[in-house]
Amino acid sequence: MKVLIIEDEPALRASIQQYLEHQGYICELAADFKQAMDKVNEFEYDCIVADIGLPLGSGLDVVKELKLLESKAGIIIISAKDSLEDKLSGLELGADDYLTKPFHLSELTARINAILRRKNFDGNTTIIFFEITVKPASKTVLVHDKSITLTGKEYQLLLYFIANQHRVVTKSALAGHLWGDAYDQAGSYDFIYTHIKNLRKKMLEAGGEDYIKTVYGTGYRFG
Amino acid sequence: MKLLTKTTVYFLLIMLPIFAGGAFYLFGKFSKEIKHETDEELVNDKLQWLRYLDTAGINSPIFTLSTLEFNLTPTDLPVQSRHKLSGVTLYQETEDSESPFRQLSQVISIHGKNYQMVLRKSMIEKDDLIKNVIQVMLFAFSGLLFFVLLSNWFISKKIWKPFYSSLDKIQRLQLNKLEAVTFEHTDTHEFNQLNAALNNMTNRVHTDYTNMKELTEDAAHEMQTPLAIAQSKLELLLQDDTLSEEQLKAILLSYDELQRLSRLNHNLLLLAKIENQQYPVTEQPDLHTMVEKYLLLFEELIREKQLTIQKEMVDTAPWPLHPALTDIMVSNLLGNAIKYNYLHGTINIRLTTNSFSISNTSQIHEIPADMLFQRFKKQSNGYTNSNGLGLAIIKKIADSYQLTLTYGYENGWHTFTMNTGL
Repeated sequence: MKVLIIEDEPALRASIQQYLEHQGYICELAADFKQAMDKVNEFEYDCIVADIGLPLGSGLDVVKELKLLESKAGIIIISAKDSLEDKLSGLELGADDYLTKPFHLSELTARINAILRRKNFDGNTTIIFFEITVKPASKTVLVHDKSITLTGKEYQLLLYFIANQHRVVTKSALAGHLWGDAYDQAGSYDFIYTHIKNLRKKMLEAGGEDYIKTVYGTGYRFG
Repeated sequence: MKLLTKTTVYFLLIMLPIFAGGAFYLFGKFSKEIKHETDEELVNDKLQWLRYLDTAGINSPIFTLSTLEFNLTPTDLPVQSRHKLSGVTLYQETEDSESPFRQLSQVISIHGKNYQMVLRKSMIEKDDLIKNVIQVMLFAFSGLLFFVLLSNWFISKKIWKPFYSSLDKIQRLQLNKLEAVTFEHTDTHEFNQLNAALNNMTNRVHTDYTNMKELTEDAAHEMQTPLAIAQSKLELLLQDDTLSEEQLKAILLSYDELQRLSRLNHNLLLLAKIENQQYPVTEQPDLHTMVEKYLLLFEELIREKQLTIQKEMVDTAPWPLHPALTDIMVSNLLGNAIKYNYLHGTINIRLTTNSFSISNTSQIHEIPADMLFQRFKKQSNGYTNSNGLGLAIIKKIADSYQLTLTYGYENGWHTFTMNTGL
């Protein structure tokens, strides 16, 4: 999977690159509008992560260019501006998702994962992680070919874990993923533990391995 | 005291002694005039009498006449060449009182005999004079009073009009609508000076305010990028297997605090945007759906505290509020009702087409009104993960979109109610 990261902040660009490459993506980088346009016109990408505020131009114009080229790439806009207009115009121009800075790298990865799943196979794909098979189209999960019943949030957690396999994901990242902006209201992250516990239990009961590891109280690691 | 009332009172206080003095002066002047007139008449009478007595008195050598007005008695005193005028007070039978008189007395000689002649004229008109003078003065004074009041009313209507219009503008001044305020040119020099100063001041305040606001917004935006960098670096650092537990904990703590900072930043920006009316009312999202959505989202939180939810909701309640703000309103109110509740507590949700209220049980005491919607005023120390902006945001939404937010406390129940102005 090839991802183009368009971001003018070198440090952030490097972080995204490092995280995504670890998850098995091939990353290319663009530091400004011109570089971005050159790359977009020259190469094909599966997914493009684009900042809006760029030197020499706007990330939104890159999105326009991609649509002109009838690119099949999934597009995620990342912006420091948490402005509704930017979000709406970005999505209207054909971006698939919008993330406001600062974001969790694990969240970005999960979103890229979801977009690629939808784009490349029109959702008719199966995600296989050892004995676990997930069919996003029907939202079913099989362990050793046996179907297990998960709640909505347990299902979301599982997909998040698979997208960020082998990485430590923090409780706050999980909470943000499950509850969105409303996770401010949660009061504590304790309830995530309940979901994890139930998810783990259901998979163990179906004869699966215990992939969810608690990491020193900082978060969880899958696989 | 109103300025006009004040000037009127001062004016009257000054006028009162002037009028009193005027009255005294007039009285003195008139009474002197009357005395003078009376004396002239007396002298005139004397001449008449003398002429008469010279011709008529031949047959009666000695006679005495005595009335109040005319008195002729024989006397041994020598003849006086000049008469003497004086004022006396005499008893009057008819009125049973002492009355003032002017009298003329002279010793005259009639056919070789000396007589004391006294002529008198009543000065009874003098009393009437005082009465009249006072009357006239009172009349003039009340006339003046009436005129002053009338002219003041007129002045306040007309001349002070620009002043009152400026005053009205200042009273209705809102910091975020300063650019629309101008104090017009008038035809009064002083008011022009005042209005020029006010224009100058509002312009300066407006510029300062705009700069300040822009600075806040820009700063908040600019902060997002460094936050994003720091957060991403820490997230990568967390992946390092070689770190000790202590180090990981320190990293996680920094990571979580960075997020708190960014949420704080986000909420401050949100407040500024709501105040700037950057969320236009373009559609009417259904509050019922919204409430159900958040009840589902907060399902585990509710279950964890084993809360009882009592709902009394109309099927659809479209509210004239931007969907993003409706989201924030419902999630903040419901979130608070859960967060500050106790185990086995209760939440009541009532929704009509124009009113939305959430009540919850809590161990927190009644929130003082002055603290309620203040930014960063946290109600309780026992609850972390609160940035003290939730209620301030809801209040800002209410204020900016003509909704009313009320808070009530009764028997351990906290109730927040949002009403549309309809």
